[in-house]
Amino acid sequence: MALQAVTIEGLSKIFPTPSGLGKFTVIESLSLEIARGSFASIVGPSGCGKSTLLNIIAGIEPSDGGRVQILSRDAANSAARIGYVFQSPRLLNWLTVEENIKFALDAQKIERSEWNARVRNYLDMVGLGGQECNFPLNLSGGMQQRVAIARALAIEPDILLMDEPFSHLDEITARRMRVDLMRILERARPTILFVTHSLREAVFLSEDVYMMSVKPARIFKHLRVDIPRPREPEDPRLFDLEKDLVKEFFAVLEQDVR
Amino acid sequence: MSLFRREALPGLFSAVGLLLVWKAVSLFFLPTFLPSPLELVARIASLFSAASAYLILAKTLERVFVGLLLAMLFGCALGLIMGLRHSVGSFFDGWVMVLLTFPSIAWAFLAVLWFGLSDIAPIFTIVLIVLPYVAMNIWEGAKALDKELTDMGTAFGARRSLLLRQVLIPQLMPYIFASLRIGFALAWKIALVSEAFGASRGVGKELMYWFQSTRVDMMLAWGASFMMLMLAIDVLILRPWEKWVFSWRPALAT
Repeated sequence: MALQAVTIEGLSKIFPTPSGLGKFTVIESLSLEIARGSFASIVGPSGCGKSTLLNIIAGIEPSDGGRVQILSRDAANSAARIGYVFQSPRLLNWLTVEENIKFALDAQKIERSEWNARVRNYLDMVGLGGQECNFPLNLSGGMQQRVAIARALAIEPDILLMDEPFSHLDEITARRMRVDLMRILERARPTILFVTHSLREAVFLSEDVYMMSVKPARIFKHLRVDIPRPREPEDPRLFDLEKDLVKEFFAVLEQDVR
Repeated sequence: MSLFRREALPGLFSAVGLLLVWKAVSLFFLPTFLPSPLELVARIASLFSAASAYLILAKTLERVFVGLLLAMLFGCALGLIMGLRHSVGSFFDGWVMVLLTFPSIAWAFLAVLWFGLSDIAPIFTIVLIVLPYVAMNIWEGAKALDKELTDMGTAFGARRSLLLRQVLIPQLMPYIFASLRIGFALAWKIALVSEAFGASRGVGKELMYWFQSTRVDMMLAWGASFMMLMLAIDVLILRPWEKWVFSWRPALAT
């Protein structure tokens, strides 16, 4: 696939130190390209600036240099659609499940006539058909996160950002969600940038894995995972890939320490 | 049903006890100085057999309503802007403190001197006294807004009006209702005081009139009628409204 959905060039971000006196570079000259319809993961330890990177792409935080370009699929609408699934569901608890999804559709100025069909379609896809009129606080954490995924998919984004979306769930729920996410992707085919600290999760889900170092964040390794989908979580080929990556990771981490 | 009866029992005892003590004390005084419970009911009944009593009640209610509405509108807007913009918060902080600490009764007198005997004086007094309470409360709420939800809205491209309607204001609803209840309780008390000095008609004016005629029974009759109207508004309008607004919260174990 020659067409890039997302191009990031020389991106940097500088934060003031907690004392307010100095500055440190969180992200330094980071470049990345994600092909349309592909699933890319960024793996890095906690606090390496992964969330900051997604926030810059989403336009929540400004960058201190560099360029982020997201190509819009439909030429008439020049602004690219960005879907975002956060660590916590971040639902509007006073709105019903259906209204939460419509909030995103409204924000993205999607034709009102399409709303009902989209709500039904994407709630079905995440396995929550029939929960339209329920309030988020009546749902389990896993179900709330499914609503958040449906909300992000419903705007049919040019890029779907996912920030450790399963890290707040218990492992059994998280595992089921990952398998379900694979199945959903067969139907929706969005372009995804997924951020996680779990190599296993990244290797299982993605086509491209990028490994990120800490302070400043830069990408030191790109890996293609060519195992066809649907994948089995217990596939030995995935374990082998993970093992190799872990080895490489620690080699780089130790270099950083020295 | 039996459970309901058992729980209602202490309340019933205290109500009957109060009426008995009241009745006993009233035996030592003239009805115009301290009426018995039954005499008070009779006064209220005769008061409201004339149409003018309803008009007087409606007039006071109108001032309470308009004053409270204006105080809520401007108070909420001010509190929200103060919370969202730090510089605005520091700018108005002193003003709000001045309004909060200035004696209420002084506003009531000043309003009469400035606006004369009119609707404006009591409404002006209500607004000036209630507004800073509302602004203070909403300011607190605005400082506690969840930034993660605002970021979510921004990431999905929500414009300002949508953010305000569906993300910010719903988070402020507990503070808005708390302000409304404090504001309501304050507003009708202020209305009566203000009317006593600065209105040609209204419940406060009636209280002043019967005070000058040393008729405690009529003062109590007006006071009790007004109290019942305010209670009815609280129980029949404010509480069900609040319950409806917060129906999204999971029901407590029943």
